[in-house]
Amino acid sequence: MDYSRPALVERLAAEYALGTLRGPARRRFETLLPAHPALASAVQAWQQRLQPLAAPVAPVAPPANVWTGVQRRLFGEPVPAPGWWQRLGLWQGFTGVALAGVLGLGVLLSQPPEVQPPLVIVMNSTEAGTPFVKTGFVASISADGGALVLKPLGTLTLEQGRALELWAVPGKGAPRSLGLISAQQQATTLLRAHLLKDTAAFAVSLEPAGGSPTGAPTGPIVSAGTI
Amino acid sequence: MSLPTTDWSARSQELATLLSRVALGDRQAFEALYRATSSQLFGVVLRINSDRAQAEEVLQEVFVNIWRAAGGFDVARSQPLTWLNSVARNRAIDSLRRRAAEPATVSRFTGLDDDEGGERDLLEAMPSADAGPLELLDQAAQANALQQCMQALSGQQRSSLALAYYQGLSHAEVAEQMSQPLGTVKSWVRRGLLSLRACLDRAAGLVDSVKGAA
Repeated sequence: MDYSRPALVERLAAEYALGTLRGPARRRFETLLPAHPALASAVQAWQQRLQPLAAPVAPVAPPANVWTGVQRRLFGEPVPAPGWWQRLGLWQGFTGVALAGVLGLGVLLSQPPEVQPPLVIVMNSTEAGTPFVKTGFVASISADGGALVLKPLGTLTLEQGRALELWAVPGKGAPRSLGLISAQQQATTLLRAHLLKDTAAFAVSLEPAGGSPTGAPTGPIVSAGTI
Repeated sequence: MSLPTTDWSARSQELATLLSRVALGDRQAFEALYRATSSQLFGVVLRINSDRAQAEEVLQEVFVNIWRAAGGFDVARSQPLTWLNSVARNRAIDSLRRRAAEPATVSRFTGLDDDEGGERDLLEAMPSADAGPLELLDQAAQANALQQCMQALSGQQRSSLALAYYQGLSHAEVAEQMSQPLGTVKSWVRRGLLSLRACLDRAAGLVDSVKGAA
């Protein structure tokens, strides 16, 4: 089929979104989608058009074994004790925190930039980390210590199944996790209170996908820089 | 189609935030996303594949898929719920081809212009908004426009689209359900989709002109 014909693209995208494109034609169409932006955007437009149809579909709570199955398939983990996800308060709290984060970012972005210059720290790659990550990072921290932007200095590549985690290292005591950082080229932005309080250095460690399971760095430190 | 994220509901913003964290491999965010959307997506899957055990299997695949593909979600191009819903619909439709040749789907759909038809009920339950000019700009207006445009189709066109969307029926299954020749049903679907897009484009033009005047 000639996928450069707009009318054909439009018809296939519509029937794909509606669900009537089936069998080998559907599978062929799906394999073409990632490489053809025109197809992909026609599909997205149709999915968006039809989305309101999904609103009246009544939600049905899935049984608990679905979630444990998802975890087993993705992480191969032992099943957590039943009922933990029913601790609604935790989730509401978490959602609140996430929402506060979004609002906080909005407020931050809507305010004129601080006149105080940010603190810039170059984090060099370490000898122990070189086999895994070949680049250092540069961290810029707002003068009030409330926001941090971390960017790789060179090309960042990471093995499948690994993640990079950023830590604030105090003069003495255990490092604090600041969260996972993007394994792509883009910058990672973190909003935390008191990023600079008691912090003597920042470090990036290599961790299994999903981050350190223990709350402390488990893999080698691949990059570090002192304030 | 560009989507101004400032117009999004708090729920969309929250889901977009969760998805972006899932893309970074954040398991806590993944659990929160599951909590927030699994019932809705299970409802969608069950409409299309009504076999309960298969639907549970499909929902697992949906979330495995979301975990792996979250990096491909593009905030600039789709709403998070649309993206999640599409993942669920696609996996559910895929599961149908594994099913025995005879579809187990039993439609309670009764007639073309019959107000007692099961599918009509769903269409009528779509959120509608008696909206003022400014409210026309939000999601409810999109739903309202789609509802009105669906109502503007012929009964056969509307019924074929509803059977395909809600029950996950193929052209052949819609034809069987409606006791009509395959070619006829194919043309109802094709013309229905064309009229729907033309009608929605007109509605969007109206919204844009109101937006321009405001």
